[in-house]
Amino acid sequence: MGFSNLSWNKAFEDLVQRFCPDGGCAAHRGEMIPRPDATAWACLALKEKENHAVIQRAQDFLITRQDEDGRVYLFEDTPTVWWPSSLAILAWNGSDAHEQARQKTCWFLLRNSGRHSPKRPDAPTAHDTSLRGWSWVEGTHSWVEPTSLATLALNLCGFSQHVRVSEALRMLMDRQLPEGGWNYGNTAVYGTVLDPLPQSTAVALVALAGKENRQDLARSIKYLSEQVPDLHTPLSLAWAILALHAWQHRPRQADRWLLDCLEGQKRLGSYDTESLSLLCLAASGSLEWLYGDQGS
Amino acid sequence: MKRPDHEKKARGKLDRRKFLKAGITGAAVGLGAGLGWQLWPRKQEAQTFIAKAADYRTDFGKLISAGLKELGVGPEQVRHKRVLLKPNLVEPHARAACINTHPQVVRGAAEAFLRMGAKQVLVAEGSGHRRDSLLILEKSGLAEVLAEDHIPFVNLNDHAGWRLGNRGGWSALAFFHLPAILRDVDLIVSMAKMKTHHWAGVTLSMKNLFGVLPGMIYGWPKNVLHQAGIQESILDINASLQPHLAIMDGVVGMEGDGPIMGTPKSAKVLVMGTSLPAVDSVSARIMGVDPDKIPYLNTAARVLDPRVTNGVRQLGENIEDVQTTFKLLERIPAQRNIRLA
Repeated sequence: MGFSNLSWNKAFEDLVQRFCPDGGCAAHRGEMIPRPDATAWACLALKEKENHAVIQRAQDFLITRQDEDGRVYLFEDTPTVWWPSSLAILAWNGSDAHEQARQKTCWFLLRNSGRHSPKRPDAPTAHDTSLRGWSWVEGTHSWVEPTSLATLALNLCGFSQHVRVSEALRMLMDRQLPEGGWNYGNTAVYGTVLDPLPQSTAVALVALAGKENRQDLARSIKYLSEQVPDLHTPLSLAWAILALHAWQHRPRQADRWLLDCLEGQKRLGSYDTESLSLLCLAASGSLEWLYGDQGS
Repeated sequence: MKRPDHEKKARGKLDRRKFLKAGITGAAVGLGAGLGWQLWPRKQEAQTFIAKAADYRTDFGKLISAGLKELGVGPEQVRHKRVLLKPNLVEPHARAACINTHPQVVRGAAEAFLRMGAKQVLVAEGSGHRRDSLLILEKSGLAEVLAEDHIPFVNLNDHAGWRLGNRGGWSALAFFHLPAILRDVDLIVSMAKMKTHHWAGVTLSMKNLFGVLPGMIYGWPKNVLHQAGIQESILDINASLQPHLAIMDGVVGMEGDGPIMGTPKSAKVLVMGTSLPAVDSVSARIMGVDPDKIPYLNTAARVLDPRVTNGVRQLGENIEDVQTTFKLLERIPAQRNIRLA
């Protein structure tokens, strides 16, 4: 873990500079339009630096994007885009001042799901469409990443035994590909098994850590372990390191890879806030933001 | 559902079974009269330019420049303009050569527009399945090409800011949330890959525009569009956004279980045009697919650019000289009974 490195300090400074006057954080350097997803990710990263003033204002900003029913939406004019809800719960975690907002969003998630239908034997897709998880957008099907993030958020808030969380875990297991790994959430279409994606695999493995048997996930962990040396972009690499860390498989070279990736901005341009925050979180070596005290 | 924040009454679903029963008759609404691809000098007939390209070592800058000239697109229309190239970037893995628009074709298009005096060329995409756009850029080889040529890339999945009314009305979507860059550029060029598709039959320059809709609002996959109807959404996006030009990479396309899991098909062809319905109609014929049997292509030809129903004038090569039959799979309903007679 190399937070003493100048590059990481600059990364944190970069994140702080992305905050707007209203407390929200922009998704990209130089922008002044705050977004709840970017705000939540930056807030989680800055918790590692204990930057309390910025964090509290960020947490307050997220309440301004919370609807009466508890959802946290992306923009004012996109109320059905509800996927930032899980991220807001993670960002509010541990703040007494935001406990009410956090509970409200948890109950919103528990009351709502993606769109589902009974599994049909003649369906073009192979997965069990009846299992409820969460969708990116209201009125659409449940997919791997939003379900994984909602599961993490609800676990953190003490709902790990809730029937919806159990069902979501079953949904994730059902979407695991036969040879291991996950993609966005389709296992096979018209009889053709689809390919896994590193980032989707990593997010699902993080959600399933401590919940499912290692044996049932061995092929997925193996897939990700084999992929990670070849991942050089922040979103995939950071999630992969987090997932392998959660399953006690953090590669020895992880810190080096993360630092190299951070410095890749010289070549690829500045990373978006989510990617930069995730790199910082993966480098921190702490999983407390995901699992509470259990993750320390 | 709490608030359907972007829905309205649709014209009615383009149900494939109903569509095939009804045949291809149906009144053209004439929406095409106001479409963006008619930014160019109005011609009586739709035109496409077909060029042979043996492989990706072809000089695409030269080929695309020649095609633009044939189509009547000259420096006077391009000079000082901002041009957005929208390739099809889906997957970075081993099959990438037949999945994604090839980096050399993108490079060639950028060269051609810059040579004609474009103020700026940028490349933009919002991939449908993968959230990690940088990974696709890196592994597909496009990142290297763009860096060498100093061409900026915009991840359309991560930008919004432009609410555009739905001018089509086939789906129930009242408007589209789009990245503002699409409003700010002067020319939008759909740079698609010639492929079969398991939901739509074929995916060409019109379907390629699914990628302009940001995943952060439409999801990964862009399931909002699936719920609204894939064929309907293709028509609506094109009717609303009004792209200006299509350049189809058919050098190596994909047959069978496209758009990702199929097999490479070497068609050795590049198809270009200022009318996307015309380019797609011609490309389908090159693939041995009857465009009239693909609901969205049929409707596009009748409604978005009615000139296409009268036939498309071929510039460059003839369809017959480059036609190569793409394999279709009987187990995929969207690929049944679409073969050109």
